[in-house]
Amino acid sequence: MRFPDAVEFALASLGKRRLRTFLTAAGVMIGIGALVSMISFGKGMQKNITRAFEASDLFTTVTVLAGGAEMPGTDPDSRRPVTKPSVRTDAVLDDAAVAALSGIPGVAMAYPDIGFPAMVGFGGEEEFRLVRVLPAAAAASRAVKIKWGRAYASDDEAGVIVSRTILRRLGEKDPAAAVGKTVRITTVSIDIGKLATLNIGAILSGQSSPVSQEAYEFPVVGVMEVSAFGGEAGMTESAVMIPPGTAKRIKRLPFSSVWDLFRMRAGTIGYSAVTVKLRSLGDLAAVRTRIHELGFATFALADQFDEITRAFYFMDMFLAAVGMIAIVVAALGIVNTMVMSILERYREIGVMKAVGASDGDIKRIFFFESGAIGLLGGVAGCLLGWAVSQVINRVVNFYAARQAGVPYVDYFAFPVWIFLGAIGFAVLVSLVAGLYPARRAARVDPVVALRHD
Amino acid sequence: MSTVARPFIEARSLSRTYLIGEVRVAALDDVSLAVEAGRFVAVTGASGSGKSTLLNLLGGLDTPTAGSIEVDGSLISAMDREALARYRRFGVGMIFQSFNLIAARTALENVELPLVFAGVDKKERKRRAADLLDQVGLAQRAGHRPPELSGGEQQRVAVARALANGPGLLLADEPTGNLDSRTSREIVGLLAGLNRDRGLTVVMVSHEEALVREFAHEIVRLRDGRVVATEGIS
Repeated sequence: MRFPDAVEFALASLGKRRLRTFLTAAGVMIGIGALVSMISFGKGMQKNITRAFEASDLFTTVTVLAGGAEMPGTDPDSRRPVTKPSVRTDAVLDDAAVAALSGIPGVAMAYPDIGFPAMVGFGGEEEFRLVRVLPAAAAASRAVKIKWGRAYASDDEAGVIVSRTILRRLGEKDPAAAVGKTVRITTVSIDIGKLATLNIGAILSGQSSPVSQEAYEFPVVGVMEVSAFGGEAGMTESAVMIPPGTAKRIKRLPFSSVWDLFRMRAGTIGYSAVTVKLRSLGDLAAVRTRIHELGFATFALADQFDEITRAFYFMDMFLAAVGMIAIVVAALGIVNTMVMSILERYREIGVMKAVGASDGDIKRIFFFESGAIGLLGGVAGCLLGWAVSQVINRVVNFYAARQAGVPYVDYFAFPVWIFLGAIGFAVLVSLVAGLYPARRAARVDPVVALRHD
Repeated sequence: MSTVARPFIEARSLSRTYLIGEVRVAALDDVSLAVEAGRFVAVTGASGSGKSTLLNLLGGLDTPTAGSIEVDGSLISAMDREALARYRRFGVGMIFQSFNLIAARTALENVELPLVFAGVDKKERKRRAADLLDQVGLAQRAGHRPPELSGGEQQRVAVARALANGPGLLLADEPTGNLDSRTSREIVGLLAGLNRDRGLTVVMVSHEEALVREFAHEIVRLRDGRVVATEGIS
């Protein structure tokens, strides 16, 4: 029996039992649809997060820490993979260190991570927020996505950049209208002189408190877009950013957390961390070596990329496993349909054998029928998976835009290999499911089959 | 030195037993049979005498429990499943009481069926199938499905199908069992014509002895799985 004839026989048989073929293929379609949408969701997440990291220059960013330090603001028990110099040093991250780091070949810029808590007011609303000090060069980089207004022009400009998130929290729905309006920053400072002659009675009566509040007003020069996926934009979304020169004119506490006091060396706290932007990822190893020679530890997200990739791999595996459950159910449906088909066509099998069909011919016919169901279900499943992803995209984006003003994001990715792989997998599973029925059909005794009613 | 021609069909000490529950039933018991090439042999006997079992063994649909069958020099009783399928495809054509046509396929497609399993390409098998239908007088009914045909027409389609791959042996298992007497005569006449004109060896099972006596060269009578008489008809 020639291959095209076996295919034609299989299709003719399926065509005769349209409803059953449709229902069985629908089982495969649902399974493949679930598999396709889940894998494409995993791939979409991977694509979006990687793109966000790349767009935010996170892969070319190295965080420099004082020797032996951990990442600021983290629990020492849950250590991040900080790369430390071989010898513990007491090097302090001060302005001289920042200048030294800036001078390392391959470094595009280096700036200290400075942040201080403050009450941020806009219009009639006020919130407790972290104000981050960011140089103009960093604020103008692609890592800070300013959509309305501009980055501040110099490190001394009296202006701030805020995120759309903060504006929404402070009651401003129109980010474009916020540009040029005033943000009020209220800080707390300690008068060291009063602290030296501490008088509890005077403090309690409010006459001589060493703690005082200062309020400053700055115009909003730029508003950052909300990012759906992490990246530096994500970390700075909840902050107000101010240029370093302007920040120096603000009276505030000399530390932002108790951790800073533990870092004190010879009476100097230094910066908790310095951000180093590389010219390219290829400079990472050389720059890091130089930083270690200066006595500082480093943390680079690029080091964790393999770990992130592995995490995505496990996520893909998990999502695929969930989709596989549906495929297994569909495969059982195929076995059931094909066995029913054998019982119905028992006499026909006998006739085919009587006129010369071999066991292999019969096996091929049933095998191709299973494969055709898989092909049909696989193609339909790809369409279903794609359609479901479009619906989910629209619903999620509608709510994300309404709730947080997040711009449209495609949460799914459909590289061609997903479709080809899914269809191939559907056919493969169907062929495996057809093995037993095909074998059973091939073993039919023609004498018994010809007597069958 | 003269050579003695070997029979076209030679069955020796043929037995076929079936296990029904725990009881062993002998459908054929030590049957020996020789049929010369180009003969028309009728096998008669009461229901359950073993006629159909004998035909199934000769047609390679079944294998004997004991004994041997040789057809046209091939020992079919020793063939494996693949070789038996090839024998059924090319060596023998079979027609049945209930026609055994595939209801969902047209007369032409039913005749094409053996050619499909012989690997004949579509165009050639359509041509050959149409020609065969023409030979049995059904050229105009090629596009009809079996339920749209009369019993006699269905049996003619079955005959055309049996001839598709040009076998040397035609086996007919009660081909007139579902037909009226006039149509029965036509069908047996058709088989006799094929025997006469093409030199086909025909073995036909029937219980209508009066009918077969008109056309057959020889009658083999079975009773309880044994050959009880062989009668040549002049």
